[in-house]
Amino acid sequence: MTADLYATATGLIERSAAAYAAGVPEGARDNGFFGPASVTWRVNAGLASPVAGLRSLLMQALHPLAMAGVDQHSGWRRDPVGRLAATSAYLATITFGERAEAVRAAARVRRIHDRVRGTDAVTGQPYAAGDPGLLLWVHAALVDSVVAAASLVGTALAAGDSNSYVAEMVAAAELIGVPRPLVPSSVPELDLYIASVRPGLRCTPAAAGSMACLLDPPGLDEDTAEIWQDIRDAAVAALPRWARQMYGYSAPPLTPGRRTEIRQSLGVLDAMVLGQPGVLEARQRITLRMRAARPA
Amino acid sequence: MAGAATLLLLRRRPGRLRLDRARAALRLAARGGARYAASAPRLFAVAGERRQQLREDLALQTAEDVADTLGAMKGVMMKIGQMASYVDDGLSPAVRQTLARLQDSVPPMSPGLAAAMVEEELGAPPDRAFARWDPRPIAAASIGQVHRAVTLDGRAVAVKVQYPGIAETIAADLRNVALLRRMLRIAAPAQDADALLSEVRDRVGEELDYRHEAASQRLMAAYYDGHPTIAVPRIIDGLSTRRIMVSELSGAVRFAELASWPQHERDLAAETIYRFVFRSLYDVRAFNGDPHPGNYLFQRGGRVTFLDFGLVRHFTPAELRPLLQMARTICVEHDPEAFRASLENAGFLRPGAPVSTQAIVEHLAVFYDTIREPGPRTITSDYASSVVRRFFDVRGPVAAHIAVPRPYVILQRINLGLFAVLGELSATADWRAISEEIWPFTRSPASTPMGEAEARWLVRRQAAAA
Repeated sequence: MTADLYATATGLIERSAAAYAAGVPEGARDNGFFGPASVTWRVNAGLASPVAGLRSLLMQALHPLAMAGVDQHSGWRRDPVGRLAATSAYLATITFGERAEAVRAAARVRRIHDRVRGTDAVTGQPYAAGDPGLLLWVHAALVDSVVAAASLVGTALAAGDSNSYVAEMVAAAELIGVPRPLVPSSVPELDLYIASVRPGLRCTPAAAGSMACLLDPPGLDEDTAEIWQDIRDAAVAALPRWARQMYGYSAPPLTPGRRTEIRQSLGVLDAMVLGQPGVLEARQRITLRMRAARPA
Repeated sequence: MAGAATLLLLRRRPGRLRLDRARAALRLAARGGARYAASAPRLFAVAGERRQQLREDLALQTAEDVADTLGAMKGVMMKIGQMASYVDDGLSPAVRQTLARLQDSVPPMSPGLAAAMVEEELGAPPDRAFARWDPRPIAAASIGQVHRAVTLDGRAVAVKVQYPGIAETIAADLRNVALLRRMLRIAAPAQDADALLSEVRDRVGEELDYRHEAASQRLMAAYYDGHPTIAVPRIIDGLSTRRIMVSELSGAVRFAELASWPQHERDLAAETIYRFVFRSLYDVRAFNGDPHPGNYLFQRGGRVTFLDFGLVRHFTPAELRPLLQMARTICVEHDPEAFRASLENAGFLRPGAPVSTQAIVEHLAVFYDTIREPGPRTITSDYASSVVRRFFDVRGPVAAHIAVPRPYVILQRINLGLFAVLGELSATADWRAISEEIWPFTRSPASTPMGEAEARWLVRRQAAAA
């Protein structure tokens, strides 16, 4: 198990980086669903992404049916890195890819979702991964986490930019199969939506078990564990208090010094990603397009 | 060291095979990367027009761009990568790749950003502070870049301009001792992490304030003033500040071109470099920790211009004494027991280590190979690699008892940098005879024509001083 986890850690950087590099097109024919002037492109370039990713998994897992679908169908226990890399690849493609590519990637995911159906052992409710209600929760958890992580350890978005980001991301929800009118398109709408879902959220045994494993992967050596701890502390601190309480985590607010340390660890992690083939070139392609779109 | 950083997530506990290989591979990479990182200043233009255009399009336009590129430990990782190359040599392809990419990820400042820095530091924009200003940088430099300019009184100069805000960012990153120590443990596992850590923090800290470098360069330029073959560009005092350093521009050629010159010219250049390194150490009590080809410019007849004094360490007489004792006991007196005692005095060897003196001499003799006996010797690339290999040989009965005390950490660069350069040139000389000219305990007469010219210069120096 431990050796596998190590292999996992190795693959995580490499495979996520490869997924990212492949998702950023060369010589793009169109600007995709967001484009170089979007807030979405800008926040994706920030250091806070790993924290946003971990926080959004923590949020998503609190929905018993979303968790059951992952737990009973996804191969994540066998290949957690593959599962995470697939998600990174999907997000990179819909964010930076051409429209046709984004639509194709979304169609692939929707076909997979069609096969994911079952009954949650805890609540006894049936579920289907293609259910717009579940997809909306997964979407909202991600969008909320990106804003929260940026403000905690990244470059905080101005209020107007947060609203723009939430509005831009409606396109992502639509791609995966949520009807547009259902999707929150501003921060207040997003907050209202999350509050409305809250009564149905709970920390099921599946959520507790898989998140414990994610937050504290067994068998890490001292140096690795310390870096991982920085990312984990930030993700947990970025959660809403009620979500922390559901998991039973206690987290004192981050001091300014601790936030600096976390940013430094994220910088180290970012350098690792940058060392992977194709990543620097992909970032340069994005930077050049964003520069060209900057108002003069 | 970025490389080192790369290792963080990939490290494993001993005993698990799969990652062991990955880790070993990573280490190798970081080493190469460190060497890569250490080769600054590299010309932006070397890789051709297209790349040049790309770099200009990606140029850092604001202080925020600088922070995104070099903040959050990345600038520090690059510096540590450079320094790790003094002391360790064997990081993996993956780590090397990381360092190289990190280095590549730093584009130059845009002309506007560089001009704003000049104005902030000198109180006037570059086109008024200088008679002529080339807005295109000619080289990357330590946390900054180099522009060509002509001063108002008509001197051609090189202007080193620091990135805005970078000194504060790096200073803050250097305070995260725990993370630095973790990175160093991975980058240079065979070394004493704490000794290395303080050295890294001191040296990198000094680099943040160009006035330290200007002071070192001023000292060197003053000492070598009038030297027949050694040239150190003068600092232009009124135009040098914490974040701007202006020095005379040299019109000589780079190492790559020297390599195409006849062997006689290469030998002369090598002799000058050798004299410079050891005269600086024993007479100026200063060692430039960055002896690599990118910091040398060449003219015919052995004239070498030395650039980049950002990593100079100054020594006290007490710190130099043991080094001289070691050289004297092993090369001149051929007294193994006295050699051993001087190693112990300097802290290189644990006193009473359970190894024979003969084993110690055999282990360390390779470092003195070229100077133990008189006569011309050719320094080959093979010799340079054997020095490096021995240096990093952490196995064997002797290696376990050897440690490099902090003051001498930077001197390891002699082995890794100087001999590598001389090996690259396949340089031949009577290195022992040249050393005897320089060693304070011999001070022998000149052994070469260059030595004679140098001796005349020394006499003039003393006369001028008196």
